[in-house]
Order: sequence, then C-alpha cells, then structure tokens
Amino acid sequence: MSEQTGKQLSKEEKDARFEAELLPVLDPLYNFAYRLTLDEDDANDLVQETYLKAYRFFDYFEQGTNAKAWLFRILKNSFINEFRKKSKQPAKVDYSEVEGYYNSDDVEGEGGVATTTDMRTESVQDLIGDEVASALNALPVDFRTVIILCDLEGFTYEEMAKILDIPIGTVRSRLHRARNSLKEKLEKYAKSMGYNS
Amino acid sequence: MESKFTEAAHQKLSEDGHESECDKIAHLLDLMIDGEASTEEQSYFNTHIEECVPCFESHQKQKLLKGLVSGHLKRVIVPESLALSIKARIQETV
Ligand SMILES: [Zn+2]
Repeated sequence: MSEQTGKQLSKEEKDARFEAELLPVLDPLYNFAYRLTLDEDDANDLVQETYLKAYRFFDYFEQGTNAKAWLFRILKNSFINEFRKKSKQPAKVDYSEVEGYYNSDDVEGEGGVATTTDMRTESVQDLIGDEVASALNALPVDFRTVIILCDLEGFTYEEMAKILDIPIGTVRSRLHRARNSLKEKLEKYAKSMGYNS
Repeated sequence: MESKFTEAAHQKLSEDGHESECDKIAHLLDLMIDGEASTEEQSYFNTHIEECVPCFESHQKQKLLKGLVSGHLKRVIVPESLALSIKARIQETV
C-alpha cells in the first residue's frame, strides 16, 4: 500500500505521529466501544479494528483536526458495518424487543415532560452508577449512542452529526427521544425502590 | 401532586393552539443543558423559567438526568494489553 503523498514520512515517523495523536483517545474510544457492544472482548476487537483502519487512512487525517471525533466516527462505522452483524450478544440485552418498541418513533409526546416521579436528591444518590448503566444499556443502541456522545464525551451537536452522518436536526430529536426513554427507565427504577411521588 | 396539576394546565395551553411560550421552552431544554443555545435563546429561556414553575422544574429534571450520566456512569478500565497490541499490529503493518 503506497499512500505516501507529499512529505515523505518514514514508517517510524509516521508511527510515532500516529501514536502521539491518536492513542490518547484510547480510553474514551474503548469506553464507547464497550457501551455499544456491552462486552469487553468485543470492545477490544472493535477498538483494534478502529485503530488499524485509522492507520490505513492516516495520511488523509489532517494534523491538528479533531482526532477524537475522527476515531469515534470510524469506530461507529465499523460497529454498524461489520460488527453488529457478527456480534455475539445472546444473553445480555434483548435489543429486538426494545427496538421494536421504540422504533415506532414516538416514545412519548413531544416535550412530554411526563415526569411524574419526584426525583429527589436522596433518591438520586441511590440510583447512581449501576442503575444508570443498566437503564442506559436497556436503550436501543442508537439512543445509547447519542447519550454517550453528548453526556459522557461532551461532543457538540455538530461533532455528533459528523460522527453519526446525520443532520443536526436529527441529532437533536434523537437525543430528545433518547433522554425521554432514559428518564422513563430511571423513573421505573425509582418507583420500584419506593420513591414514588 | 401540586406539580401534576400545574403540568396539566400547562399542557392544555398548547392544545388550545396558543404556540405557548412553554412549548418553545420545551424545545430549548436540551439546547440549554447541552450548552448549544444561542445568547438570545438563553436569555429568553432564563427569563421564562424565572416565572414559570413547570418549566423551571423541567429544566431541573433535564439537568439532573444529564448529570446522572456525566457524573455517575462508571468508566470501564482499558485493558493494559490493548495499547500494546495496537502498537504491535501497527508496526507490522506496511
Ligand atoms: Zn413555562
């Protein structure tokens, strides 16, 4: 593969630059992969595949541009194109079920604010960590993705639009629906714990 | 209970066809908590929630929800071997 254009970098130089610019993203990237696949081995494979692809296309990567968004985009594409099909995820979460339900596109009315549970501070303390994770994991992957990108990784809507190849308007509406479902799941939990309003 | 009552009243407004301020506010909620609202949107929003309890509460809830993910979702630890195997595989790539 000879994609050496313009300035000729030796392989050592290229590798060093690659590592310096892209390896710092490893932690968020692995976390993203894990939240998509819900499996450590799968996340591992997906991240490796992402870096290998990034290496192959590294000459097209403009130095100083958003390396994190670029890698997230590659990873998300790998996940969709190859990984999702062959992914072995029988026991964990039954996506088909949740997806079938949510794909009806209308989770709850626009601006529904159907928040009936009083999420008081004390109840919130108890919901932490594992509960947030299991509520999030129970969401369809598209919903999970926007929440991770926005709330965990702090990407802007514009960056998310690029990562996901969708218009900003779609980012906004998907995020809105994703949050409504997440809210619903967390409230169910809050209720089951007796934090009924 | 009180808040349920006001919420119902507040949704009724929009059914009447008033493009109510509260509807506009609802559309700005995510922009506000994500720091994506313009200066005008921000001041419009802030002025409204100063006097509208349901919208104020929705804003609090939305912030809370975002905070649950950003502040409480545990990060998984990257296996140490991963960076090494990436480097190794890159080095053997021509
Ligand atoms: Zn209002």
